[in-house]
Amino acid sequence: MGEDARPNWDSPVQFLLACVSYAVGLGNVWRFPYLCQMHGGGGFLIPYLLMLFLEGVPLFYMELAVGQKMRLGSIGAWSAINPYLGGVGLASMVASVYICLYYNIINAWSFWYLFNSFQSVLPWSDCPVNSNLTGPLEECQKASSTQYFFFRETLNISTSIEENGGIHTGQALCLLLAWVITYLFIIHGIKSSGKVVYFTATFPYVVLVIYLIRGLTLPGAIHGITYLFTPKMEELANPTAWINAATQIFFSLGLGFGSLIAFSSYNQYNNNFEHQAFTVAIINSGTSIFASIVTFSIYGFKATVNYENCLERTRILLLNSFNLAEDTISMSNVLDWIKNLNATYPEQFAELGNKLEDCDLNDELDTAVEGVGLAFIVYSEAIQNMPLPQLWSVLYFVMLLLIGLGSMLGNMTAISTPLQDFKILSKVSNEVLNGILCLIFLLFGLAFTTPSGNYWFTMFNDYGASFSLLFVVLIEVITVSYLYGIKRFEKDIEDMLGHRPNWYLKIMWMIVSPLLLIALFIFYIVNYIRGGAITYQAWDKELGKTVVTDYPIFGQFFIALLLVSAVSCVPLTALYVYCTNRKRSTSIKESAISAS
Amino acid sequence: MSGKVIFLLSVALSSAQQLCTPGASDGYKVRLSIQTALGDNAYAWSQNELFLFRATLAFAMRNHFDGQDFQVANIIVCDETQRVSFWFVVTWPDDAARLVDGSEVELAIRKSRKRINSAFLLNDRTLEFVGIVPTLAAPQLPATPPWLIAFGVVMGAVGAGFVILVVSAAVQKRRKKKENVVDVAEDEGSDVEAPPPKPLKNGSVRQDPNGISNVAFCDDERVTQM
Repeated sequence: MGEDARPNWDSPVQFLLACVSYAVGLGNVWRFPYLCQMHGGGGFLIPYLLMLFLEGVPLFYMELAVGQKMRLGSIGAWSAINPYLGGVGLASMVASVYICLYYNIINAWSFWYLFNSFQSVLPWSDCPVNSNLTGPLEECQKASSTQYFFFRETLNISTSIEENGGIHTGQALCLLLAWVITYLFIIHGIKSSGKVVYFTATFPYVVLVIYLIRGLTLPGAIHGITYLFTPKMEELANPTAWINAATQIFFSLGLGFGSLIAFSSYNQYNNNFEHQAFTVAIINSGTSIFASIVTFSIYGFKATVNYENCLERTRILLLNSFNLAEDTISMSNVLDWIKNLNATYPEQFAELGNKLEDCDLNDELDTAVEGVGLAFIVYSEAIQNMPLPQLWSVLYFVMLLLIGLGSMLGNMTAISTPLQDFKILSKVSNEVLNGILCLIFLLFGLAFTTPSGNYWFTMFNDYGASFSLLFVVLIEVITVSYLYGIKRFEKDIEDMLGHRPNWYLKIMWMIVSPLLLIALFIFYIVNYIRGGAITYQAWDKELGKTVVTDYPIFGQFFIALLLVSAVSCVPLTALYVYCTNRKRSTSIKESAISAS
Repeated sequence: MSGKVIFLLSVALSSAQQLCTPGASDGYKVRLSIQTALGDNAYAWSQNELFLFRATLAFAMRNHFDGQDFQVANIIVCDETQRVSFWFVVTWPDDAARLVDGSEVELAIRKSRKRINSAFLLNDRTLEFVGIVPTLAAPQLPATPPWLIAFGVVMGAVGAGFVILVVSAAVQKRRKKKENVVDVAEDEGSDVEAPPPKPLKNGSVRQDPNGISNVAFCDDERVTQM
């Protein structure tokens, strides 16, 4: 053979930290708190933890086992398991390519916000003035200053996916920086990423702890925490809660991308991945819960600030309309005075009409936000109200960066590892291969910095790697349990670990997880058929908020392309292998006949 | 005689009151939020303060109209409330029955807004002229946007890291090459027919084309010590 031996992690701890760094991603910070809020607070933990053990741990374990046994990337590993199903690995790689294309733009945004935090006044705390210096810009006034900063100054977003424009220079520079850093992290393959994960896996927790302390000491945090932990058990009757728990576990652990297979392929043959699988899965879920405590204390603070501002505006309105002395109405008796004035001066009160706002703390808490909106708009709104906001802003965006870059490590490794298993590319060094990949992704990623880039980003985020991954993992678990054979798989694990897997795991692999995945699959399809037109949220400049818009034809076509390109890898590869085998067997037969 | 004076004064007063009415087209409503602005250091609103206000407004009018000697008497105030809000109108110094145009009053106030504010230790928000929008401060755009500076610093650090990485990798490669040359020279002596190298699980075995040398038994010293 004479080739270099496969590189290994320096220690099992590196592997563990790499998995943690990959699995703990932005979804833990911005999706889980939203789901908690939507599905009855503390009660959501029940389906969440149940799904962790029904689906999360067994599938995670399975992927680690496959990678460690086959010691190849996703394509090679699945080809080794079943020659016809190498397409599963290829589909994983396609999904990873889509992720790598758009994920780094989030890191670019984090960089942008991070760099803009080094100012005496945070730029998203105030609206810029309009051209004749009479007041704030109209768009900023209708929306809020944080929304304006995100949609106008960060994205320079257009009003629909069809309109486009030039590249946003700031975004492009930040994207370049994000890719340069990603390249530096993975330049020597796992030799370099193995050292980086010591930092990217641990520092976010330091920041989270600091934020927890800061968050819990903010005024009004307690409202958020009680809101989070008051379980609304009736929500559990809603099947959507269970479906969302299952999908969240599934995507949060990063199953199906091939990253886990790639990471574990660099393990020593006898590495105890069983312990590591349980550890990583539990750390991942624990981080989600921890992050949601932090998020909700911040929510509580933000809601309290907004509520108090609302009360203050009402107080001023009442003072001005009824010409009362300033010290008659204070913050605490605003609501009493409203009732009072309504009774004593009903006509004058009626004149106020719609200028009078309804100030409700619970309404403020009820505004559930997820995704990019939570991470960049809601959090920055909360940060601007904290004392010493620049420090908190820097800390927060550094944490987002580390989490995002840590996930990028896994995504890039999922692509470079199977590529290097191919004979043609094995001669190409790590540095060159990773450099070429990073350059290609950077150039394509620049498309996301255009005015309509955020809409394309949402499209990729929602459709690039969701449905296809469910399909991939379903095929994976059925292959391992039935095509490869659970007995063979058990023997392989016994060979590696020294003992057979628990009966609980076997039941999950053979029955429960496939059924769950099929249920999720059906749910997605039913949802799509019932949903009618596929829509996205477009930013309306005049109204200063997002409106639901239908995707145009080319948008729908592109979504179909995203889904089909990943899913079709499986049948197409199977067909290809079948044809090549037929050709080979006929040519062998012919040569045998001609020899005799 | 005193009767006539009283009569004239009352006529003047009543006509003045007729000029100033809440909602007058050439008048403006003023609203002061002293407690919001100053908190514990708030001063009480009194007739003296009102006098200062009228004097400041007269000053503003004088600033706007060159040569016109506006007096405190030309600023007529009415409809004072507990809020500390009131309406005022401005009359011409030479004709107390004629009101100065609302737009001119607005321009005058705009010009001297800062001086009026500072006379009362208030700002644009706490001393409101209802209907006159304050001119906001022009945004101060620095020469280089601050984010670009931060970006430059980080990019420079990353670039430096990149260079260090490449250089150290090259240095390490050169060191390895030297070691390989030395090892090959050592192994040239032994004429061992090497079996095709198999992937071994034992990590302490190093493979090279001239044979398998077991590092565990490698002697660093070629000459045994006496």
